[in-house]
Amino acid sequence: MTSGRLLVPVSESVALRNTVAYAVRHVVESKAAEGAVHFVYPYSPQMVTGMDTSGVDELLERVEVWADDDLGDDAGAVDVQTAVIGAGEYLFSPGDYADVLAEYGEREDLETVVLDPEFSPSGTTPLLPPLEAELERAGFEVLEAPVERPTRRARLVRGGNVGQFLLVAALSFGFYLLIGGSLSTFDLVTGGLSGVIVATVLWRVCFSGPVRPGRLLKRIGRMSVYTFYLVWEIVIANLQIAYVVLHPRLPIDPKMVEFDAAVWSEIPVTTLANSITLTPGTLTVDVDSQSFTVHSLTAGARDDLFSGGLERAVRFVFYGRAAARIPSPRERGEEGSDDGGAES
Amino acid sequence: MTLLTTALFAATAAFVALSVVIVYRIVRGPTMQDRVIAVNAVGTNTVVVIALIGAATDDPGVLDIALVYALLNFLMSIAISKFTVERGGVM
Amino acid sequence: MVTITEGAVVALLAGGVFFGLVAAVGLLRLPDLYTRTHAASKTDTLGAGLTLAAVAVVYDAGLPTVKAGLLLVFLLITNPTAAHAIARAAADQGIEPWTAEDGGDEQ
Repeated sequence: MTSGRLLVPVSESVALRNTVAYAVRHVVESKAAEGAVHFVYPYSPQMVTGMDTSGVDELLERVEVWADDDLGDDAGAVDVQTAVIGAGEYLFSPGDYADVLAEYGEREDLETVVLDPEFSPSGTTPLLPPLEAELERAGFEVLEAPVERPTRRARLVRGGNVGQFLLVAALSFGFYLLIGGSLSTFDLVTGGLSGVIVATVLWRVCFSGPVRPGRLLKRIGRMSVYTFYLVWEIVIANLQIAYVVLHPRLPIDPKMVEFDAAVWSEIPVTTLANSITLTPGTLTVDVDSQSFTVHSLTAGARDDLFSGGLERAVRFVFYGRAAARIPSPRERGEEGSDDGGAES
Repeated sequence: MTLLTTALFAATAAFVALSVVIVYRIVRGPTMQDRVIAVNAVGTNTVVVIALIGAATDDPGVLDIALVYALLNFLMSIAISKFTVERGGVM
Repeated sequence: MVTITEGAVVALLAGGVFFGLVAAVGLLRLPDLYTRTHAASKTDTLGAGLTLAAVAVVYDAGLPTVKAGLLLVFLLITNPTAAHAIARAAADQGIEPWTAEDGGDEQ
């Protein structure tokens, strides 16, 4: 069975209380001689959640109180500790989080990690599946605290606010009028009704986080720049494919390749996957969190993929200019993982 | 007939002919997915044909039909892929 | 006398038909499912895109132009998604990709 020494990374989340209870129960039931639960907060100064150190301390205090509550009579048998880790380091990718957690876990001799299914220290970006994989690679046993709803799939319904409702309603209304093509009273009324109905049904499904108008506008701006770049790439690459397909000897050299892309969270990954598919010569076959399986038609197409132009552009759209300077897949040593390799 | 309508109808005819050629792939297969891809390509061509006919006959309403057809085409590809992966599992 | 609109429309249509042709030829000639998906998903997308751009130009400026543009954007998003779904379904079923070593015989 599992060990009685747990490492629990915590962050502000709706399932935190549940996770604490699960971890404590787990240790008590393991009846280990030196049962211990370490609640750690991976803190990094660049985080945009608006949490400062006092907020972190307050959170950890709360966690400790909960843990003591749950322990009850067993309080003497289990060592509960809290810590802030990673302070001063630049935590950006799931790998970074896994690194600081692994370091702490080894120092304190902890073998099992209990993950909060809602764990997201960097704000809205979900990083659980990659984090889980990284931790398992580092030799930890990873448990996910069970919650009432199934969490293996991304949640469809999330919290929403009035901004989201209004945005969905306005977009539906606009689309209705656009398709209808008239501004008569009848159309305005039915369009308004449709907008409200659509928004009522979908307002908590459409967005992955609260709407921040400023950031949204910035993204849309950068997205339009990206669109031009993408169209240009599509045209160029299509001409290459046309040459290959119409060439009498059909000079193709298809191959499956895998690589880990340096983009995170759903929408950027989707954008990158679609862009890869649209740029001829490469076709995204499977995406598992951030590891892409790509079918490439020619060696030239593979080259383009690994030089990472698209990836960089997607990062530019979603994370801004600073993130665009992360090294390309080739420089990160992702190149050359061949077909069928489970590891990459 | 003006030059524009002639060109539009010519392009329509070309896309129809191309779709007929692609039907060979639908018939030959050999796998289910080959057929889905071919049907999807025919569907894309059909959307284009509908839009072209709309433009040639100067009937903007036809574009709405093309829009709906594009939606259906997409849905069909997704549904069939989903079906083949999960063997009749609910979408 | 050929106006600029007419010239643009004819050029876009010619490009669209050309890429549509490439897609069809690719679908017939390429050796396996994945390579065919390449041809079908994007060459066809560009072909359709150029043709729809021609349609947008025909309708001068106005609501139909916006609709044609919408159709174009829609195809640009859905086609690769559909291709991805199909390729993934194939990969899940264990269909192996064709490689150059398998020899040059076409199916």
